[in-house]
Amino acid sequence: MKDIRKGTSSVFGAGGRKWRAATFISIAAVLGAGIAAGCGGDDSSGATTGGGGSGPAAGECAASTGPVKLNFWTWVPGVDKAVAVWNKENPDIQVKVKNTPAGNAGTYQNMFNALKAGTAPDLGQIEFDSLPAFRLQDAVRDVAACGAADVKDGFVPWTLGQVSFGTDSIYAIPQDTGPMALYYRKDLFTKFGVKVPTTWDEFATAAATIHKKDPTVYITHFPQRDTNWFAGLAWQNSAKWFSTEGDSWKVTVNDPATKQVADYWQGLLDKKLVANLQGFSPQWSNALAKGKVLTWTSAVWGSNTISTNAPKTAGKWAVAPMPQWNAGDQKAGNWGGSTTAVFSSSEHPLEATKFALWLNTDPVSQAILNKEGGLYPATTAGLDLPALAGPLEFYGGQKIFDVFKEASGQVDTTFQWGPIMTTTYTQLADGFGPVLNGNGTFGAVVDKVQGQTSDAITQQGLSVVK
Amino acid sequence: MSTSDAVVDAAAPRVRSTRRRGRRFSRRNLSIIGFLAPFTILFVLLYLVPIGYALYKSFFIIKRKGAFGSPNEVFGGLDNYSRAIEDTEFLKSIGRVLLFGIVQVPVMLILALVFALLLDSIFGRFKRFFRLAFFVPYAVPVVIGAILWAFLYSPGLSPILDGLGAINISINFLGEGTVLWSIANIVTWTYTGYNMLIIFSALQAIDSSIYEAARIDGANEWKMAWQIKIPIIRPALILTAVFSIIGTLQLFTEAQVLRDSATSITSQYTPNLVAFTAASANNFNYAAALAFILAVATAVLSFGFLKLADRKGGE
Repeated sequence: MKDIRKGTSSVFGAGGRKWRAATFISIAAVLGAGIAAGCGGDDSSGATTGGGGSGPAAGECAASTGPVKLNFWTWVPGVDKAVAVWNKENPDIQVKVKNTPAGNAGTYQNMFNALKAGTAPDLGQIEFDSLPAFRLQDAVRDVAACGAADVKDGFVPWTLGQVSFGTDSIYAIPQDTGPMALYYRKDLFTKFGVKVPTTWDEFATAAATIHKKDPTVYITHFPQRDTNWFAGLAWQNSAKWFSTEGDSWKVTVNDPATKQVADYWQGLLDKKLVANLQGFSPQWSNALAKGKVLTWTSAVWGSNTISTNAPKTAGKWAVAPMPQWNAGDQKAGNWGGSTTAVFSSSEHPLEATKFALWLNTDPVSQAILNKEGGLYPATTAGLDLPALAGPLEFYGGQKIFDVFKEASGQVDTTFQWGPIMTTTYTQLADGFGPVLNGNGTFGAVVDKVQGQTSDAITQQGLSVVK
Repeated sequence: MSTSDAVVDAAAPRVRSTRRRGRRFSRRNLSIIGFLAPFTILFVLLYLVPIGYALYKSFFIIKRKGAFGSPNEVFGGLDNYSRAIEDTEFLKSIGRVLLFGIVQVPVMLILALVFALLLDSIFGRFKRFFRLAFFVPYAVPVVIGAILWAFLYSPGLSPILDGLGAINISINFLGEGTVLWSIANIVTWTYTGYNMLIIFSALQAIDSSIYEAARIDGANEWKMAWQIKIPIIRPALILTAVFSIIGTLQLFTEAQVLRDSATSITSQYTPNLVAFTAASANNFNYAAALAFILAVATAVLSFGFLKLADRKGGE
């Protein structure tokens, strides 16, 4: 019965409205029968979803009466173990997990489709950069009034900025983050006689030295399709890609900070100092394992990526802070990270928020998610988890999470994502491809994407400030 | 069986049924409906309705108010279509698959024909083995096949490239100029056996008395293939050609899989990828317009080819 009634959600406009009217009548009938039979009960939730307006009203968040069942879509490995703990402690709010592929591997599409079809879950995992797209489809609910506002100060500052869009609303509960640092092959750095670069200039010098000593070895690769990696580099340099001015969007994908990053990598590419390898591809793993690519500027979760893709290099890696643009700076980028969002169609926003907050702030849950899924918590308290204190053998006994904890506090808190990041990323990747194969420059690509993304935003019916 | 026998046989039931038509009319109609219904219902539900829905959706555009305004579908006329026609990446992708088709389809069909003819005559004794061997690639799921080939194309992972490297030949199979033909190779590898099987079964259906007659007239294997077999199996060749043209325009999986390894394949590489990218970015209306344009283009090309083949055959 609950599932059927999700059809009454007011997520989508004109097309669904007629259908809704029809279902509403049949649902009313079913409901009536249900109550008569004594299995009804949680009818108070109608208050939040009824009315047929666009999106649920902010400011109200009523509790459901009686036991509640929540559906949760996520791709965090081992999340069911945390959920089992919750279910045991909360017999009245039972959560059912559906393990999905990663968001951009089809799950976001499935979520949007489910929202259209009225079969969406109550909660879902959404990465920070995709959250605006969900908000744009009226798909996620402002849960500030559902208890999230009370604990918001516990989250790492930049994560709060990205789920609130700079307002008092909270459209999702931050789950994990990806502060960036420099992974490097300590042994081979010693062999080639280069010291760990602290600035990007030193990184370029090291790149040249290494490649000169062995032309088959590169300091790093430029991953064409990991455009959120590129965003992380720009973010470190205090780039601002998107902002809102009144009712309009402002696009500055080619701001001077981003151009500096683009030109820098163009310089390395022109001198043939970066490998043309697709990120996370078997080819790249192979190059890592064989010591043909010596560094990776990556997020905290990358520590697992390296150890699983190049297990034989155990003990040979180390982590240093990201190289800086100006000597003495202390800035870090961020790559990745997710939230737990309550979908606007959920009839139990209060209970769903309660669960989402527990999942992402409770030390027990955080420890499980870190152990099973490698998540790096999005709360400042979570960065001191016991599991994050110890040395890692793969990294030669280094306490690498100390580096990332430091980085976490150095991430620019004002960076905002645009409304259609999937499209922006695609445009960047489509531009980077030819550059890596010798046509054009990264700088020209970000200029082109500036125009393309502005056009694409306009095509979504939004306005863009010139 | 001579041809005149066949004509009589075919005519006989027709005469009989005309005689009985009056009495059996309703029952006959019922059975016709009964036989047609499963197909018709599925065809309408799974084919015509979605196409109609896509066509309908393609006339709408999204309007919003505010930076995070709710999406509102409003009638936009041919907006999406004019956008598609001006979309240079979309047009380039069509050009790319046409070039692909012009080269790959003939190569594949000639290979399939040659294999089928060989199987039909020379490999007589090993027929079963070769028939299976040629067909195996088609039984490999397309995604798996593409992943396997991606490995074979990758320097450092491919034994072929390593072997070539040992004699100082380096080919970049995943470069901008070569990757289209690397995809063509995968498609050819996958579908040659399938097409061969269709052609081969057409060859098997040829009455062996025709060959006997030809042999008595002094025809050798080559002449029999060229002047008897190929003309008789023409319908099968046309069928495989139409399937291949449709498949070319729908090129998607191989390119999508190779994107994980190659930096030279963009999200706008083939028309289907363009539509997929648009749909992934929630541009459903634009994606619907693209899909509809593709469906029309596929129909025009397939029927155009059939018409052309018909006219040539009629001469």
